[in-house]
Amino acid sequence: MEAKENNQFGLEESHGDHISSHSPGAVGFVTPLTSSPILSASMVEAFFTPGLWNHHTSSCTMSFGESINCVPIGKPVAMSNRGMLPSPPPGEFPHSLPHFPVDSGLIERAARLSCFGGGSFRGISLLGPSQSMTPPSGASKDAIGARVQKAELNVVSLPVEHGTIKGITMNNKRDRSISHVGTSNNKSREGNFCEEGQERHTGSADAAGNSSSSDLGANKRRKATEEMEKEKDQVLRGLQSSTETTKDNTETKCKSYKHSGKNAKDNSEAAKEGYVHVRAQRGQATNSHSLAERVRREKISERMKYLQELVPGCSKVTGKAVMLDEIINYVQSLQRQVEFLSMKLAAVNPQLDFSIEGLLAKNLLHSHGGSSSAAGFSQEMIYPQVYSSQQGLAHAGISSMLNPSDAFRRTLITEIPMASGYKETSLQMHNSWNEQLVMQMAYGANPPLNSQVINRKPDGFTI
Amino acid sequence: MDSENSACGNPNPNPTLGPSKLMLAFRFLRALSLVHRTTPASSRTCRGRRIERAAYASMAYSAGTGRGWSRAVLRRLHHRARRRAVAPRRLSTTAGNRAEALRQLVPGGAGMDYCTLLEETADYIKCLSMQVELMQGIVDSSSSYGP
Repeated sequence: MEAKENNQFGLEESHGDHISSHSPGAVGFVTPLTSSPILSASMVEAFFTPGLWNHHTSSCTMSFGESINCVPIGKPVAMSNRGMLPSPPPGEFPHSLPHFPVDSGLIERAARLSCFGGGSFRGISLLGPSQSMTPPSGASKDAIGARVQKAELNVVSLPVEHGTIKGITMNNKRDRSISHVGTSNNKSREGNFCEEGQERHTGSADAAGNSSSSDLGANKRRKATEEMEKEKDQVLRGLQSSTETTKDNTETKCKSYKHSGKNAKDNSEAAKEGYVHVRAQRGQATNSHSLAERVRREKISERMKYLQELVPGCSKVTGKAVMLDEIINYVQSLQRQVEFLSMKLAAVNPQLDFSIEGLLAKNLLHSHGGSSSAAGFSQEMIYPQVYSSQQGLAHAGISSMLNPSDAFRRTLITEIPMASGYKETSLQMHNSWNEQLVMQMAYGANPPLNSQVINRKPDGFTI
Repeated sequence: MDSENSACGNPNPNPTLGPSKLMLAFRFLRALSLVHRTTPASSRTCRGRRIERAAYASMAYSAGTGRGWSRAVLRRLHHRARRRAVAPRRLSTTAGNRAEALRQLVPGGAGMDYCTLLEETADYIKCLSMQVELMQGIVDSSSSYGP
């Protein structure tokens, strides 16, 4: 999609190309059909694909106008759209919309066609290239009707969106004709979406008003493009879930398009505690395979995000393939570094006093951001951490601090294998900040000789 | 690396927090000193390879057995892998299947599903970077102490 890529419905992520390929068609198709400002608003809105809804708008009342306005920026077809829309409807659209003669039959057909706005835009895209932008003044009812018929014929299995129309127009405070349209839509159904439409219509009618239905529409539009496969029970479930989740979304209605979709999705995601509790969203198949697939996909994307944070310089990278390449390169480089450094260490003169204190002090200082004030303090910290579990070792640590010597360091190094239980405790010590206490404890006892330390067996006492 | 293998078999008690730097440092330093003591000074490459194995071993031990990759590394070590290096570096086919390339890189990646593979890769990257930091620190400190 073009510049206005506000993911109002999140469709661009997965179907940007899909939508962008269809949107010009949708735009091209929309304009001749507008028969009234009210209807045109709904029509335009309904016909505009979610891709067109990129143009994120703050208020729903402005949304359509703005979207209409925005569209011309993005698409060549829409350029003529601007020219096509004369005087704006009073108080609603700052931009011009055509004043078409109102025709009930036209409204009905237009409304029916508007239902197909959410789903696949194949039908619309079919019409797109064939449609030409004719000036509204020149458009005759017959021509419009013919085009509408053609659209109907082409559009066979698109999802029905009574609620969408109803909600949208309600949002625009133009419920007069649209409610009529909505009801008329109930009668004129196509395919197997008749029941869906009715359910949705009733549900939306009873649901918490405008926002819910509009949210349903948004949700539907979003989800429908993901999977076209639908079943009745799934719609019911999706409807219920959407209505439940969107009942609370009474924000600005146009924002709610995005938010409700998001919230519904988030709620469904939150509901997924295991692989069992995945809730089918509206417009998605409830097939167990597809649900599991969705969970898996989300898991994978979550892990990819985590990896993105780990790998330096990958925050800007988008796309799984490039990301994977980066990850592979990074792992390879790390492994090469290990190899190189190990060779280097082999070459390093085997002075076995690898200076645990200094090294660990440095490391710990680095890791803890220099929380300890002095290097000496950190060194003191280290010994209790490591040797606290073994009293003898603690003594050894203290004495090592007092008399650091290469030989003693070596004994320290070799002593570690004897300590069995020190790991857990040292880890605990590492995480907590009891070192000072331990140190004082260690100081209390008399430091034994090194030989005693070496011979002593681990006690395994815990602090 | 027998001493290291037999001595520390404790799994990381808190795998979620990730391997402790301290533990890693101690294990590796111990192994390093061991290597320096046992291998003759003449065979530098041999020693280098041993050090590398020690690095991976200490990494795996620090990570504990809660991780698939660490288990694979330890398995490889215990079975005396015929390959010289613990982590064989094969040319990854970036043009081809990237998941396959990643599987080759991450130890034990062959038997994992993609989701687990990503998780293991993340942990592996964390441990590897810690190990590299540690080794770099050792090199720096030893070099700073003069020849």
